[in-house]
Amino acid sequence: MSNSHSDTVPLHPSSQSDIDEIENLINASVQSGPATVLPARPPSPPRASIPVSSTPFIQSQIPPPPPQSSSSNQKVPTVAAAPPPPPPYVGNSSSIAATGFGPAPNTLTEPVWDTVKRDLSRIVSNLKLVVFPNPYREDPGKALRDWDLWGPFFFIVFLGLTLSWSASVKKSEVFAVAFALLAAGAVILTLNVLLLGGHIIFFQSLSLLGYCLFPLDIGALICMLKDNVIVKIVVVSVTLAWSSWAAYPFMSSAVNPRRKALALYPVFLMYVSVGFLIIAIN
Amino acid sequence: MDLSQASALAFYILSTLFANSFVIIFVITVVLAALDFWVVKNVSGRILVGLRWWNEINEQGESIWRFECLDQESLARINQKDSMLFWWTLYLNAVAWGIFGIFSMVRLEVDYLLVVAVCFSLAIANIIGFTKCRKDARNKIQAFASRTIASRFSSTLQSAFSLV
Repeated sequence: MSNSHSDTVPLHPSSQSDIDEIENLINASVQSGPATVLPARPPSPPRASIPVSSTPFIQSQIPPPPPQSSSSNQKVPTVAAAPPPPPPYVGNSSSIAATGFGPAPNTLTEPVWDTVKRDLSRIVSNLKLVVFPNPYREDPGKALRDWDLWGPFFFIVFLGLTLSWSASVKKSEVFAVAFALLAAGAVILTLNVLLLGGHIIFFQSLSLLGYCLFPLDIGALICMLKDNVIVKIVVVSVTLAWSSWAAYPFMSSAVNPRRKALALYPVFLMYVSVGFLIIAIN
Repeated sequence: MDLSQASALAFYILSTLFANSFVIIFVITVVLAALDFWVVKNVSGRILVGLRWWNEINEQGESIWRFECLDQESLARINQKDSMLFWWTLYLNAVAWGIFGIFSMVRLEVDYLLVVAVCFSLAIANIIGFTKCRKDARNKIQAFASRTIASRFSSTLQSAFSLV
């Protein structure tokens, strides 16, 4: 009757029905396919993403006998539809699959180098997404989807080293305190958000808080080079505001609007204490 | 693989020969341990046992663990010794860092406990990831085998009927 419109099978409750269809196809082939797993990544981001390094596995799957031809035919076009792995990778990785596990080191370095490059580019793109203004800030769940902990690791270590270099006495304690404070602080802040009933993933939040330390890293570097108190205060306040601005959208969208302040205040507090550490070191 | 884990442990043990400052020991040990984590996860996991794991966040904002393994033929070609070596060094690494942790707790050296805690957690993360990946691979192989048997059975039936 009046529900005749809804009798048709709803494809997907979103406007990007084509892309979601392809994604569903990939998901379906993931669930029904043989031993290899294809990462179900929608074909939008212009990154050299996971399919690149998984080509060794896909390549070795194409020779198998015809009974699987239906599933492999289904898989091969969807692989081509997903961000297509550039041809040179396919060539190199087939040599790895063909020669088994005793390849010469030089054929191995190429895919490893690709993995390194991919990880590095991921760090850079995450940094740009978090710290610099960009159109995705309104939708934080999408922005830091490719979380990784390498960026935060580098930034925390760098901040600790900078503080330690600036200190004239007790260098080791300063470093250990800075590292422990930042690491434990990130964990506790994440737990805070989770306990407030927020929807955030543990590692994503750790990664976010680590990337938001980047402005403070710059501030600490400048303070180390220029030892004037006024300059330090100005620089630290600017970078502190920048860090808080960077962390704000992600944290605030993760919790209930009435509890936004409860989630954001500890973050601000932690960055303020790091700022004081930077100013007070001499 | 094995070498990178050994280098992190060796540097930690011999650290007093190399540097006086705790900061340098901490940074170099943790950097070596992090590099080793990356190498084991991405390189030696792929070469020695044909497994790879990572984590993704999908559209709905849930985190999914993704596991990848070689298909049946390549898995059969994996050298048993390589696989043994991989798993044994993975466990031994974690056990060694655990022992160092106990030592530093006994000696009440909180600074060194921090280093050991970081390295130990990296080792545990790798162990958990690869174990999950291996279990997942086994499940997939079982499912695949049963499905292949079923499909071959049905195709033989079909060919039998078409002959008749």
